[in-house]
Amino acid sequence: MADEDHEERRFTAIYDECRQRVWAYAVSRAGRQAADEVVSETFAIAWRRLADVPDPALPWLLGVARNVLRDGHRAEVRRESFAAELGRWTARPAGDIAEDVAERLAVIRAMAALPDGDREILILVAWQGLTPRDAARVVGCSPAALRVRLHRARRRLARAAEGTEAPGGRPAAETGQAGAGQLRTGQAVTRRQVATINEEMS
Amino acid sequence: MNDDVLRTLREARPAELDPDVPVDARVRQMELARAMAAGPGPDGARTRKAGRRRVRPVWGIGLSAAVAAGVLAAVIVVPSGDDGAGTPRAGHGAGQLLDAKTVLLTAAEKADGRTDTMRAYWHTVTISSHTHTVGQGDGRYSVTVRERHETWTPGDPGGKVYGREQYLGAKPATAADEAAWRRAGSPGTFELRIPISPGSKITKPYRAKLAPASQQPPKVSVSPLVDGDKVFWLGRNVTMRQLRSLPSDPKRLKAELIRWYEGHDTESDRPMGAAEWLYRVASGMVMSMPVPPEVRAAGFRMLAGLPGVRSAGRVTDPQGRAGDAIAVDDTTPGGVIRDQMIIDLASGTALARGNVMVKAVAGSDVPTGRTMSSEVVLTAEWTDSAPR
Repeated sequence: MADEDHEERRFTAIYDECRQRVWAYAVSRAGRQAADEVVSETFAIAWRRLADVPDPALPWLLGVARNVLRDGHRAEVRRESFAAELGRWTARPAGDIAEDVAERLAVIRAMAALPDGDREILILVAWQGLTPRDAARVVGCSPAALRVRLHRARRRLARAAEGTEAPGGRPAAETGQAGAGQLRTGQAVTRRQVATINEEMS
Repeated sequence: MNDDVLRTLREARPAELDPDVPVDARVRQMELARAMAAGPGPDGARTRKAGRRRVRPVWGIGLSAAVAAGVLAAVIVVPSGDDGAGTPRAGHGAGQLLDAKTVLLTAAEKADGRTDTMRAYWHTVTISSHTHTVGQGDGRYSVTVRERHETWTPGDPGGKVYGREQYLGAKPATAADEAAWRRAGSPGTFELRIPISPGSKITKPYRAKLAPASQQPPKVSVSPLVDGDKVFWLGRNVTMRQLRSLPSDPKRLKAELIRWYEGHDTESDRPMGAAEWLYRVASGMVMSMPVPPEVRAAGFRMLAGLPGVRSAGRVTDPQGRAGDAIAVDDTTPGGVIRDQMIIDLASGTALARGNVMVKAVAGSDVPTGRTMSSEVVLTAEWTDSAPR
């Protein structure tokens, strides 16, 4: 009984610490329709495998959420949902907007045009605040590989942001399609890396 | 340059993705319950007695059993309405009010006189409603979204819970809301914004269709009992056997229930006094749980003895049935919310309960006087007929 209480307390503490982060990750990867489901499934897995959950739990949980998303949600559906999110995030506020707001909108739009793998790393580092080491754990590559990929993603983001800073930006549908063509390469690279790294880690 | 763009990206994170935004208390409870109910538990716990895990089923307020299918519907729980439990009826002056103690003791007498025989399933039919504000500025109006829930809870352990959920659609909450809705062009769907936590400015979108145009088929669900034998949440998960053997003496019943009080809200970790907690738990019990008549009577008597329980007057429930309301007021960050239960003194049964905003804080989206949500019991009885 005492052990069961301890497990419940530990699980609840992990949930309280990480739930919003897992949700935010899922929303920024696949939109909110999928997010609630992903959160639910991720924590159900965490409860079943509580003994395997490391401390800190967040990178592990995000890795699980990532697998749940990949297994349960087809890439094109994810992309459409994300495009819808993006449309909401970048809907222009009425009236004049400050320059820094315009800049932020531009960078979000720019992010949408990047390959999926780039976008994922940027989200983990900039929005989730993960260190390169923890981000590497989530996507299943070495920290060194992660740093290289982050560097490239950042460069592509900067370039894209300059390109979209013109008034109006790109319509969401177009950015969604642009991402679509590049996604496959991004994923293929990721899978190969996952296979290598999994060997390294086990 | 690269660092700049990363910093801009960091600053551009949408506010709703901020990890410090609190999780809605109900969502938290449901997700925790669902996670812990979904599997056999941590690997290490499998060898221990599964039945002793204290898993909270999806609802704290006691109406439904631990039905996973209820989760989705429950996510849209939040806010408010004017159709609800607790519209004061015209023509009933203060002179006719019964005090809360009289109402509850009368209900107890009636409940005591009833008989019941356990059958295969405890069958409940309830209608829940939540009212939301739609639109902007002067064009704002309120719509009430309703759902019908039907549940068959097995009398014996190891059985299955059957559920049937019927979405009943949304409609303008009051005549004034209907006028505003017509001015807005009588839209057939409503884009609702549902706060992700109570009082939060951050919302999730939810699209509701106008009633009765939305003739969606009911969603049917079948699920095993939590832990194989837990049927309801009564301060903790309880089995049918535990429900049936609760004390019929109000003092002993109170002592039994208070054992599970841990100083906080039934729905969250927010501190909550013992009396209010007991009110929440016991009102759920008397309203729709399959306890024997003498236990239901003890529940009413126990409520009569709680401090803070007051009369809320003669009211009609959302189905138009008249009853006498008792209530407890809860001071929340959004204002004072009254948790009231409407009792039919003729039968000694609770007809409905609802949350009414009785004193909104300045700037609240929920006006004072609005019934934010309600739950009406249409049926709560034993039956032998299995669901189709």
